[in-house]
Parts: sequence; structure tokens; C-alpha cells
Amino acid sequence: MANTYSILKNSTYLLCLIFLLNSCTSTPEKPVHKVEKAIHKVYNVEIKQMQFQPAELTLQKGDTVVWTNRDIVTHDVTEEKNKLWTSGPFAPGQSWSLVVTESADYYCSIHVVMKGRLIVE
Amino acid sequence: MKIKQSIAVLTTFAIVCVALLCMPAIGQKNARLTDPEIASVAVTANQIDIEYAQIARKKSKNADVLKFAETMAKDHQSVIDQAVVLVTKLGVTPKDNATTKSFLAGATKTKAMLNSKKGNAFNKAYIDNEVAYHKAAINEVEKVLIPDATNSELKSLLQSALPLFKTHLEHAEMVQKEFNK
Repeated sequence: MANTYSILKNSTYLLCLIFLLNSCTSTPEKPVHKVEKAIHKVYNVEIKQMQFQPAELTLQKGDTVVWTNRDIVTHDVTEEKNKLWTSGPFAPGQSWSLVVTESADYYCSIHVVMKGRLIVE
Repeated sequence: MKIKQSIAVLTTFAIVCVALLCMPAIGQKNARLTDPEIASVAVTANQIDIEYAQIARKKSKNADVLKFAETMAKDHQSVIDQAVVLVTKLGVTPKDNATTKSFLAGATKTKAMLNSKKGNAFNKAYIDNEVAYHKAAINEVEKVLIPDATNSELKSLLQSALPLFKTHLEHAEMVQKEFNK
């Protein structure tokens, strides 16, 4: 009987000790799912004096380029090699934007000597 | 001796008379164009290139020539539209002058020449003329129209048109290479 009592007593001490030890240790951090929100920039290209200004832009994937026609005639902005994208004609005073996903050489398909370049790093 | 002196006096008199007779012509040649005259030259020069483009659109089957002609028709019409808006705003009536007449006389001959040609000969003649015409127009705008314009808005429109004409020239020279191979 005394032996049983002793076992119970020791078990109680052991449980208390485990409880205390457990309390002293820090609780593990909950896993935090960090959402990497890239800050995308917006770049402006002015079309004036029959030129894209600036003619060359270095940017990150997902950045936006806004072209604004400051000339006296209609222009467009068209990917040059495979015609992958085009703004279609836009009149003086109007703008057109594109979210850039890859590097591209572009031109105005109306005034074919007007050229620009987007370089995605 | 007296005869010699008389001859010398008469010769000098004759030279002075000839010089005086020539002066008005020289003065006229160097006379500045007025703003109404500049407006007339600008509208006429643009209209002439639209007419050349219309001939090209009828006669050519070459994709590059047709594309170029389409751009010329639209761009020069755009310049005319803006010039008309400006002269209306300023209350200026374009006035015919020697430069306008010279442009028109040249255009009559050129249109007859273009209309007489067919196929690749037409394409080459059209694009060669576009190169020459834009060179002449650029020279006129740069050396005469812009310096002579007194109204700042008219001057500004001409200054805006200059890079356009230079781009047209570059485009024409690019197409011209196709026919000079």
C-alpha cells in the first residue's frame, strides 16, 4: 500500500515537473506564410518630336509602361519582331499602357523608323 | 581726254542704272513672307503630298509604297487640319504668293509624270519624288517659314511639323532602297 502511495506521489511530482518544464519553454511560432509582394513601378515614355523618350527602358518583370502621344499626329506602339502586342493607333494627347513581362524591341508601325526598347532585368 | 571722261561717266551711270533696276527684284526675292503667306505655303505643300499619295494608292500594288502613301495622306491631313484651326483662331486668311505658285507649278508637272508611269517604274518614280519633295519641304520650313513666321503659335506649329517631315524623309529613303537594289 505504501509502495503504491509512493509510486503515485512520484508520478505526481514527475507530472508537475513536466508541466513546469513545458511552461518554461517558449511556445513554437505559428508558421507565417509570407506573401512576397513585389513593388511594381510605373514608367512613362513620351512620344514627342517623332521619338520615344526615353527610347530605352530597363525595368523589372511586372512593371508598367505608359506611353503618351505628345506629337501632332497619330502613333502606335507595336512589338517589332513577332507583333506580339500592339497598342493600335492612338491620337495626340492619348495614352496607352502595358504590363511588361519580357524584353522587347518595339516601333511605331505607322512611322516605321521610330524605335524603342524594353529591357527586363 | 574729255571724251574719255565722258565715256567713264556714262559707263558709271549705266552701271548704277542697271543696279537700281535690279534692286527691286533682289529685294522681292529676299522679302520676308507674311504669316498669311506662310499659312498658304504650309497648307499647299501638305495638300500636294496628299495628292501624290492618292495617285500612289490608285496605281501601286507594293505593300511598302502603299503603307508609306497611307501615312503621308493621314499625317499631312493632320497638319492641314491643325493649320486650319490655327488660322481660323488667329483670323488669318492664307494668301497666295510666289512660293505657293512655284510649289503648285512643280506639282502639276510631277503629277503628270507619275500618272504616265506603271508598275515598278511608278513605285520608283513616286518614292524618288517623295525623297526629293521632303528634302525641299524641310529646307523651306527650316530656312524660310520658321524664321519668317512672326506669330508664335504659327512658328510653334511649323517647328512641330519639322521632325514629322524629317521622319517622312527617313521613311521614304528606307523604302527607296528597295527600288535601288
